Amino acid sequence: MSELSGQIREAVRKLLRQKEVDLVIGFEAGTLPLHSTPCFIREQQEAERLIWNSFCDNNLAKYLGKRQEKIAIIAKSCDARAIVELIKEKQISREQVVIVGVPCHGMIDRRRAEAELEGKEILEAEENDGELTLKGNGFTKVLKRSDYLCYGCEVCFHRNPVIYDILIGDGVAEKATDQYSDIAEFEAKSTEERWRYISDQVSKCIRCYACRNACPLCYCRECFVDNTHPQWTGKTTDISDTMIFHLMRAFHLAGRCVGCGACERACPMKVDIRKLNRKLVSDVKVLFDYEAGISLDRTAPLATFKPDDPEGFMLNP
Amino acid sequence: MKTKIIRKQDMTGLLNNLIQEYEVFAPVKRDDLVIFDRIGSDKDVSLEYTNSIKPPKEILFPQSETLFTCGSIGDAASIEVPVSEERPRLLFGIRPCDARSFLLLDKVFNEENHRDVYYLSRRNDMMVIAIGCIKPRATCFCTSVGGGPFSSQGSDLLLVDIGDDYIIQVITDKGSRLVEKVGVADAGENKLALMKMVIQEAELSMSPQIKTDGLKEKLDSAFDDPIWGSLTEKCLSCGICTYLCPSCYCFDIIDEVTDSKGERIRIWDSCQFPLFTLQASGSNPRPTNKERHRQRVMHKFSYCVDNYGQVSCVGCGRCVIECPVNLDIRQVLTTISNR
Amino acid sequence: MKRETNDWEPKIVAFLCNWCSYAGADLAGVSRIQYPTNIRIIRVPCSGRINPFFILSSLQHGADGVLVCGCHPGDCHYLTGNYNARRKFALLQSLLEYAGVEKGRVQFSWVSAAEGGRFAELVAGVTESIQALGPAEKLVKR
Repeated sequence: MSELSGQIREAVRKLLRQKEVDLVIGFEAGTLPLHSTPCFIREQQEAERLIWNSFCDNNLAKYLGKRQEKIAIIAKSCDARAIVELIKEKQISREQVVIVGVPCHGMIDRRRAEAELEGKEILEAEENDGELTLKGNGFTKVLKRSDYLCYGCEVCFHRNPVIYDILIGDGVAEKATDQYSDIAEFEAKSTEERWRYISDQVSKCIRCYACRNACPLCYCRECFVDNTHPQWTGKTTDISDTMIFHLMRAFHLAGRCVGCGACERACPMKVDIRKLNRKLVSDVKVLFDYEAGISLDRTAPLATFKPDDPEGFMLNP
Repeated sequence: MKTKIIRKQDMTGLLNNLIQEYEVFAPVKRDDLVIFDRIGSDKDVSLEYTNSIKPPKEILFPQSETLFTCGSIGDAASIEVPVSEERPRLLFGIRPCDARSFLLLDKVFNEENHRDVYYLSRRNDMMVIAIGCIKPRATCFCTSVGGGPFSSQGSDLLLVDIGDDYIIQVITDKGSRLVEKVGVADAGENKLALMKMVIQEAELSMSPQIKTDGLKEKLDSAFDDPIWGSLTEKCLSCGICTYLCPSCYCFDIIDEVTDSKGERIRIWDSCQFPLFTLQASGSNPRPTNKERHRQRVMHKFSYCVDNYGQVSCVGCGRCVIECPVNLDIRQVLTTISNR
Repeated sequence: MKRETNDWEPKIVAFLCNWCSYAGADLAGVSRIQYPTNIRIIRVPCSGRINPFFILSSLQHGADGVLVCGCHPGDCHYLTGNYNARRKFALLQSLLEYAGVEKGRVQFSWVSAAEGGRFAELVAGVTESIQALGPAEKLVKR
């Protein structure tokens, strides 16, 4: 990982030196163990701050929109997929962004790692050779890195950036195609069981909108929940309001969600947001044979149609 | 200060007694989150926690609350204010930082000229039984903002875990009446010595994390400092830091109207949302992260000092831990202090 | 407030496109074909105009069911409005069912301006199936 940090810094210094970009968006060390944090660099000498490790879990594509300057972005594969969608949706032009792609082994889910420690506090975390070493008062625990990945990373089968201008490090082996077995498993439950689970999850929501604000594709100038004329859904924590918020947020991302999981990681209440998002990702794949973030050329599934699209869901079609 | 003692195994009986008389709220586990909720028996309580994910402020100041409903009866308009006929509330097992936050909320909702009846209907007669922190987290900074792992401010009783027993520090008359009523023994000298050791150990484990001396003056003079822009560039403008903050109290009032009924509802609001300051003209005096995040910091560490004579942060560390982009208020304050 | 189920009749919101389905309903009317009175018709310019929020808002504000109708594929007054809508509807229906909203609360069909009889049959069928589901409880805001 440290070689990657070095190569990223080198590439960034060069980009800034040659004035190819005005701004670089990457990661620097965070203030807490198991955290890296987004950073914004405009001077060559600041490139030293940049790092790359398994804690770079934010989707930096979030920061691309509504900027004038030329930007370089350190993009793991899900950031790159989000950039593809942002370019297609005309939120940024391909020419405005230099994509420094980083093949990704998956990011660590710090909550999974913490859960292993039964409430003991992690004061220090290191990683090397596929191992994660956690230290605290009176304990050292070594975990196998690959057992503690974020869920989105576990099912990710585009670990190499699909689009880039500069590639850092070597490519990584791709995993087998996602079969959406978790979705099938959930669908096998009864209607009432599904409703109970989803409403139980959604009832934890505190309407902080971190899921929306962490999502690279949620860029609406005015979100439907902030809209008052018409008011699409209430702003209270009544289950009806929160349910409609989550259903519609998921729906707005249909054919656009790149499955990075930033929403779920941002949620302080651990609402199982991916249960809804992944259903739509899977439906879009099955019904319209489309995957978000893979190709700059294919039209978004809800911006097009085929005369023979499936309509078996309709009454007497 | 009176000190009493109770064996840990006797807490069960005590709690179940209290449930007879009070609406008892205590830390409970939901999935793997600890939150404060109403309990039906001591079995619901989960005391193995450092702090709850959500602060207990919602027990006094719920996230959504109906202020009144209106409608019509025949030709006449009708207005109905919900009345709470609940028994007095008792908060068991909250942390000293959260207990202190109630004193800060009181300054807003129980201010001489503005008494909030909804808040006070829950706040009056409320009993607070806190448990001191024997293992503060690295993100806790209560000692930097005037509190401490065994601060008794805001509590009626403060429990100190000394192994097999809890020492009960009796802080207020209300607390005193409660211990008299339930009848617990006085704490002996050797147990009190043990208590002092426990407290000292916890306090020593905490180091100062922010410099508060002269911080207000620094903040006031750094209002236009461009550093705010770079410090907050990564902020996502979500509501986590404010909604999980025990002392943030901003709210919005909305009307929900259906054909024949109207409801006025108070809901939490957050200065981190652009909508918070958006004006009808479309102009927004706090258009970017910079102004919004600066507002949060200034409010807590400067404006509240002007208005109430103290900072309105209790150092619980929730915003530090839960910020999705690791925007750490300790780092922000330190950077400004060093300007 | 729990509604009594014994003499309960479902309230169904029907979104009908102006050019085909609404005209189909009109034809049913002028032809004096009887059909259940449970539907409340909302005329929209095109099935493509239907925002999924219309459907969820109906359920949130007390509708027991929602029926959405547009022109048959190929017949859209705006050429492709119904094709675009069909993709949205497919995803929405699947999502609602997946989240545990009973199958059949929200139904979709194509009705042409000539299908007055079919419209009446459709409404009868939809009303019967929603009657069988009982009052909608899940997304209602109390």
